[in-house]
Amino acid sequence: MRGVAQTATRGLPADLLRPLVPPVWRGLPRRALTTAGGLGLLLAGTTRLPDHAPDAELGRLVLRLTALTGALGLAFLLDDPARNTTATTPVGRPRRTVLRLAFVAPLAALWWAAVLLLTPAPTRPALGPATLEAAGTACAALALATIAVRFTQAAEVGRSTAVWLGTAAAVAVLVPNRWGLLGTSQDPYWAATQVRWAVVLGATVTLSVLWTPEPLRGRPHGHGPGRLGPSWSRPSE
Amino acid sequence: MTTASTGPATLTATDLSLRFGGTRALDGVSLRLTRGVTGLLGPNGAGKTTLLRVLATAVPPDGGAFTALGHDPGTAAGRLALRRTLGYLPQTPGFHPEFTAFEFVDYVAILKELTDRGARLREVRRVLEAVDLSEVRGTRIKRLSGGMRQRVALAAALVGEPGFLVLDEPTVGLDPEQRMRFRELIAQAGEGRTVLLSTHQTEDVAMLCHRVVVLARGRVHFEGTPADLTARAAGRVWSSTERDPNALAGWRTGTGSFRNIGDPPTGAELLEPTLEDGYLLTLDGESAEVTA
Repeated sequence: MRGVAQTATRGLPADLLRPLVPPVWRGLPRRALTTAGGLGLLLAGTTRLPDHAPDAELGRLVLRLTALTGALGLAFLLDDPARNTTATTPVGRPRRTVLRLAFVAPLAALWWAAVLLLTPAPTRPALGPATLEAAGTACAALALATIAVRFTQAAEVGRSTAVWLGTAAAVAVLVPNRWGLLGTSQDPYWAATQVRWAVVLGATVTLSVLWTPEPLRGRPHGHGPGRLGPSWSRPSE
Repeated sequence: MTTASTGPATLTATDLSLRFGGTRALDGVSLRLTRGVTGLLGPNGAGKTTLLRVLATAVPPDGGAFTALGHDPGTAAGRLALRRTLGYLPQTPGFHPEFTAFEFVDYVAILKELTDRGARLREVRRVLEAVDLSEVRGTRIKRLSGGMRQRVALAAALVGEPGFLVLDEPTVGLDPEQRMRFRELIAQAGEGRTVLLSTHQTEDVAMLCHRVVVLARGRVHFEGTPADLTARAAGRVWSSTERDPNALAGWRTGTGSFRNIGDPPTGAELLEPTLEDGYLLTLDGESAEVTA
């Protein structure tokens, strides 16, 4: 059997994709994703409960909470309990991450469309800004998870990421509107708020793209795992 | 059962270093491996797992370099080429608990680019048979015992006939019978391949390895054959009726007498040294565990 590696075809990415799809799909953190997705839909559905449709500002608040709920689910997307065992295979983590994203991105888009449809028209704020905020929140979750995977050895980074995302959201609430991300359409700073969301989206996407590949060299001394906080694990030796 | 060393160096590491915050996990490690099984011994916190993770390309070093089987993992192409011939059993293997043993090993086989379905499934069956898991191959991993999970992880490491096998404490959690089976497997794996085996079990090294490396505080303190390590304790192990207070370590044996290691007093009854004696003397001053 010495020659199995030689006799079995060494696959190109296209050859690998077909056999790889079922196990990667099965390995998705479906419980976290479906729970967050379900809660988000329930939350959006609450706007239909009152006799009279709430105004657009209340609708904006509900949509922001819904987007945060969905992003908390996405914080678990990079959880991989088998990370240690599969860390050094030729098909590396970045390719599997891309495959996970390819599964989840269309589902997330459909979910957001359903959320918007659940929100009655008088309550629904302008779609562009609301969608930009939702995309920025989702990408922030993915960027935080990417950082956690890159700079720690933890296999399941979802909980820590969710805590960091929740903390970031709490901080965002405290920031004055003239500098912050959570303004209303009546604010004189509304246009600037949208620019900031675009910056958040661009920065988090860039960061995720840059830090998903595995590094070839170690970082400079003095910046080891554990610097991000006590809940981020480090190697046992 | 000890495997024979053959041929030139298959892995050469020079001055490897890695720091985690203020902790220097590897401090200028240089070593040379040949085909066969090499044992890596050291106390807790010596840097064994870190060294294995570096050599398995799981983490890059801060400094130094190594080549394995002619591949330089410091480049993207070299790392990919090395990973194509690598099997790695981590210290704490992780699994998708909902997968069956077969599904998980098959998943790892796909990740090792074995895309020919028929050949891949035959290979998965072969490695599961080798680790004696054929009967539970359809059982979900979350329902398997710790020892069985360890064997699933070993099967995942062995799948694809890797030329370089890195095993981090593979016999932890196994009963004596399973450990013997493991030794047979690893001895077989060491024939014609390079195997690096980290362990706390000196008997594993004595029975399996043609070479041994002792690591402490991130540095190599010994590199040679098990016989060389054992010879370090020649004339430094003795028997007494009481624990000798001048001994580096001493313990009561099953016969009631004390086995001491260190510098024996004049006229002491010298005993045949073991590899463990040589290991403890090599670590003298490097670990509190030596005199515990």
